[in-house]
Amino acid sequence: MWVAPPLKGGSNKIMGSDALIYSVLIYGLVNGAVIMLTSLGFSLTFGLSGVANLAHGGIYLLSGCLAWILLNTLGLPFLPAAVITMVLAGLLGAGVYWLVLQRVRGLALSEMIVTFTIGIGILEFLRWAGFVTYDFNLPVIIKGSLTIAGVIVDYQRLLVIGVGVLIAVLLWFFSHHTKIGLALRGMAQDEYTALSVGIDSDWAAALSMALGHMIVAMAAIMILPLGLISINVGYDVLTMVLAVTILGGLESTAGLTLASLILGYATAATGMYLNPQWTQVVYLAAIVLVLALRPSGLLGKFKELEERV
Amino acid sequence: MLEVKELMVFYENALAVNNLSLEVKEGEFVGIFGSNSAGKSTLMNTIAGLTLHLKYREERRGGERITILGRLKFDGEDITHLKPVDRVQKGIVLCRERHPIFRDNTVQENLQLGGYLRKEHEVKESIAFVFELFPSLKRRRNQKAGMLSGGEQEMLAIGLVLAARPRLLLMDEPLLGLSPVMQQELVRALKRLSQEKLTIFLAEQYARPIMPLIDRGYVIENGTLIVSGSGKELVDNPEVRSAYFGM
Ligand SMILES: Nc1ncnc2c1ncn2[C@@H]1O[C@H](COP(=O)(O)OP(=O)(O)OP(=O)(O)O)[C@@H](O)[C@H]1O
Ligand SMILES: [Mg+2]
Repeated sequence: MWVAPPLKGGSNKIMGSDALIYSVLIYGLVNGAVIMLTSLGFSLTFGLSGVANLAHGGIYLLSGCLAWILLNTLGLPFLPAAVITMVLAGLLGAGVYWLVLQRVRGLALSEMIVTFTIGIGILEFLRWAGFVTYDFNLPVIIKGSLTIAGVIVDYQRLLVIGVGVLIAVLLWFFSHHTKIGLALRGMAQDEYTALSVGIDSDWAAALSMALGHMIVAMAAIMILPLGLISINVGYDVLTMVLAVTILGGLESTAGLTLASLILGYATAATGMYLNPQWTQVVYLAAIVLVLALRPSGLLGKFKELEERV
Repeated sequence: MLEVKELMVFYENALAVNNLSLEVKEGEFVGIFGSNSAGKSTLMNTIAGLTLHLKYREERRGGERITILGRLKFDGEDITHLKPVDRVQKGIVLCRERHPIFRDNTVQENLQLGGYLRKEHEVKESIAFVFELFPSLKRRRNQKAGMLSGGEQEMLAIGLVLAARPRLLLMDEPLLGLSPVMQQELVRALKRLSQEKLTIFLAEQYARPIMPLIDRGYVIENGTLIVSGSGKELVDNPEVRSAYFGM
């Protein structure tokens, strides 16, 4: 997903090299925040229940479409539309857990196949339902822009940085310093020990899916206004999230932040110096390189999971 | 307090617990002894509800591998079909084999998680008690549990379940892999717990260190009850004596 703005003056070649460097510096950060906000929901669900929710891209786009329908077809104001979208996405997460995931719980491959299928199903359903043309976009929350070191940055992008950092901090606090957060992490570490002190594993996993989906919906509502709602965005988001989680080592907030920044700068640089089409190549190259050289991620560690009561 | 009636547990067609009936009375310290694969863990996990959880999980996936027959009663109430969480709520808490703990959390967080179902002031009280019982845990309260030594991890595993405020404490081979010094330390702690009127049901392969503590004991082989009786009766039984007491 390419989210940097059209450059002022059209072609990159016209810009001075200083302006280009500043653009890369600033838009690297913006891209990093976008990537982080987009990936937080995935990382949360994985960290709290061990489910790699590959329906992520589908849920992201579905949330965008839901918000669009609430705003444009039902004419709701922005805030209620956003809240309802998040709640619906959360309920969908819990529903997917109770109806499908619960049955394959603990079988990592089956969990991935199930969520992947659901994600593709949602995206292709949206395509069938006609969300393919370029008529769909969400409104920005704050209009206007700012010039930093000669680079124009609109307020919505700054807001994305702020919200991304805020949500990351809140989630870290939630998972490390609240009773429910600790219980969920305990569950992810050792299900049977959690069960033997009275933590209900199904409830915990459903909650982590719901929370993950709510954060994805929030990310969609914040980020989609920067571009158009199209089916490809859903697929691109999935590649992006996989690149971040593989680079960042799946479950640490620090790893996620670092990976988002690296990919943010890598995509900003290739986008400005080469062509925005290189974004997907950057993500895929990151996945292949990390898996080949450091499969547990930049800051990651290996976890061995055994199952036996 | 706990009644196990004609319990049978099959994995596939293999019988892990065979027609076992036993009882643990309020305030008692009861041991169950058996060698490898005698069915001790299966029995403990079944009383705690974990076997049932595994069975349901496997059935949801479409398999039918585990069969549980017979009855479990706690305080006269049938708990055979209760979820593990509800059993913990009633006070049945199991400390599983090989001292499992939450390795990524600190000692303090582990103990807090142990008290997940209990009220805040109760958790505070139990944590204070655990620190009194195992002072070395208190010194390491902010250390990651995964970094503790094996012996300290065992203490933490016991602290974790004590924080859940058991009325019936189930222990699956707590002495496994501990040095003689650590074993003594643990036996001392168990004695203290027993004096505090906690009901304890403990499984071990090797009965000797536990012997001075128990009121009664059972010996099982291949899931079948061989003998039962008071500590003295067990020691006096020549077969049991050589096999489980090394005397
Ligand atoms: N999840 C399982 N699936 C299949 N068979 C199992 C399972 N758990 C235990 N068993 C089998 O049940 C029998 C009893 O095992 P159990 O773990 O209860 O023995 P144990 O007395 O605890 O042994 P140990 O002292 O070695 O821990 C064994 O033959 C074992 O292979
Ligand atoms: Mg065992």
